[in-house]
Amino acid sequence: MVAHLDDAILIVTPENIGFQYRVAGPFLRLPAYALDLLIRLGVVLVALLVVRLAFGAAGLAGLGWGLVAILVFGLSWFYGGVFEAFWNGQTPGKRIVGIRVLTVDGRPINAMQAVLRNLLRAIDCQPGPFYLVGLVSASANARFQRLGDLACGTMVVVEQRRAWFGLVRSRDPAVLKAAEQLPAGVEVSRTLGRTLAAYVQRCETLSPARRQEIAHHLAQPLRARLGVPATIRDDLLLRALYHRAFIAQGQDERALRQGSPFKPAASPPVGVLAGPTGDVA
Amino acid sequence: MKVDQLLESRHANWQKLEDLSASMARRPEPQRVLEFAALYRAACADLALADAYQLPPDTIQYLHQLVGRAHNQLYRSRTFQSRLWMHELLVVLPQRLFSDGYLRLALVIFWGVFLLAGGLAYSNPDFAAHLVPNEYRVKLEEDFSRELGSRPADESGFMAGFYIFHNGGIGLRCFAFGILLGIGGLFSTVFNASFLGAVFGHMATTPQADNFFHFVTAHGPFELTAVVLSAAAGMRLGFSLIQTGGRSRMAALREAGRESVPTMGAALVLFLLAAMIEAFLSPSPAPYWIKAVVALLSSAMLIFYYFGLGAPRRISRPL
Repeated sequence: MVAHLDDAILIVTPENIGFQYRVAGPFLRLPAYALDLLIRLGVVLVALLVVRLAFGAAGLAGLGWGLVAILVFGLSWFYGGVFEAFWNGQTPGKRIVGIRVLTVDGRPINAMQAVLRNLLRAIDCQPGPFYLVGLVSASANARFQRLGDLACGTMVVVEQRRAWFGLVRSRDPAVLKAAEQLPAGVEVSRTLGRTLAAYVQRCETLSPARRQEIAHHLAQPLRARLGVPATIRDDLLLRALYHRAFIAQGQDERALRQGSPFKPAASPPVGVLAGPTGDVA
Repeated sequence: MKVDQLLESRHANWQKLEDLSASMARRPEPQRVLEFAALYRAACADLALADAYQLPPDTIQYLHQLVGRAHNQLYRSRTFQSRLWMHELLVVLPQRLFSDGYLRLALVIFWGVFLLAGGLAYSNPDFAAHLVPNEYRVKLEEDFSRELGSRPADESGFMAGFYIFHNGGIGLRCFAFGILLGIGGLFSTVFNASFLGAVFGHMATTPQADNFFHFVTAHGPFELTAVVLSAAAGMRLGFSLIQTGGRSRMAALREAGRESVPTMGAALVLFLLAAMIEAFLSPSPAPYWIKAVVALLSSAMLIFYYFGLGAPRRISRPL
């Protein structure tokens, strides 16, 4: 869970659901700004070419340069404001990077906020192009707001797409067999379930020795509680328990009918297993 | 029910919600909006119960971002509504400006410093030399030694763009710097006023004085008022951090932000009008009385805006 990381912001929606956003730090906002800068430069370059070729040929070079001056003015002061107002808090750069401007209570920004926070960029980017004022202001508050954000009550959040992760389905016969051998009626508490899931989703990337080392701390108390024989290694025990908790269907009933190969746990009926943190659901 | 079965039954819905949120940015059909809203509420419910369902952490994080993205599509930003903005500019803003202490302060500071610098530069040539760089003065004198109207017509288009870019930039910077406890705004106001005053005072002592005043008359009222408005908007932002009116500093700043944007909008409109006059009328060989009439008319418009529309009265908000 990201709840205890300091860049997570909890938003409560009108549906009365709390969900979390990650606040975007400088290392996401800077690339977005750089991309926008490139786009602006590109537009100005194209405009210069057009003026050079078309207006110059028509003998209206002066008017053309005047239009370029207006374009530069508009782009440097209102590019962000107009895009964020019409694109729901995103500029092209922000859209590419996957960040969005929201109000601090998680609602979309309005046109006034979009314009104001971009006008105040002029002070945030001081001195020169170094953005020191903005950086100092942003470092001084939890939502990483620069002065422009503070003045209109907005923040920039990460809105990246996360790929869908299903459950980890083990095809390893050893895991399936071990899962069948676990005692009937094993229930897994929420915290234990979370811990198991975190372990199993990551253990593919770990070496056997490292797996053993990590699994040992949780497997040992579980082994004692469930009466699992030592032939089932620590790593296997956790994966089997995960399989039983999240995937295996009807196994509990079958196990109940057949009777457990292990002696039943000390206190009948087998209660909810507590996680290593010791809380019992 | 096992988590596996639950995920299997929900996954298709979540996937559909994901696809729909991506397509909501374009105008969707009503049918799809309904479907989207239903799927969104379902995903919200799933997230709320995620802990009870014992969903694995990865799935919970996936749900957080899914609900977040759908939420942003459902509650979208309100874009510009021209009717509300016109109401703000023509009804609400003049009322606010009429009772705006910062506008009076900016007016007094700007005109006080302007007249002071002008008088000093007129009576003492050294003063202008201190404030206005030598090259700039030489350039000015050179520019105004030519007859008005001798400029090629094509140049006017360029100058219009340039004035918007240059003066608009000065005004917006003056506004943005105001947020530094108001000191930034005070500084740029005093700087602009003393610089302009020194230029006026200095030019009055040169043989090009006639040409110069001929040039600045028409666009003066709009342009100088726009500078003062920018300064006032900036001061409102900056001083809200000090004079909070009992709110927290951030709340006071946010409210000042909301109130200062329309002021800045009015300033930009004035900069725009001034740039047009400055580019097309001011340098033209038109007789002085036309320019004087334009200056009088624009001053009358400003006075009507401030006193006529601004005089305290009850106003009703549009729906």
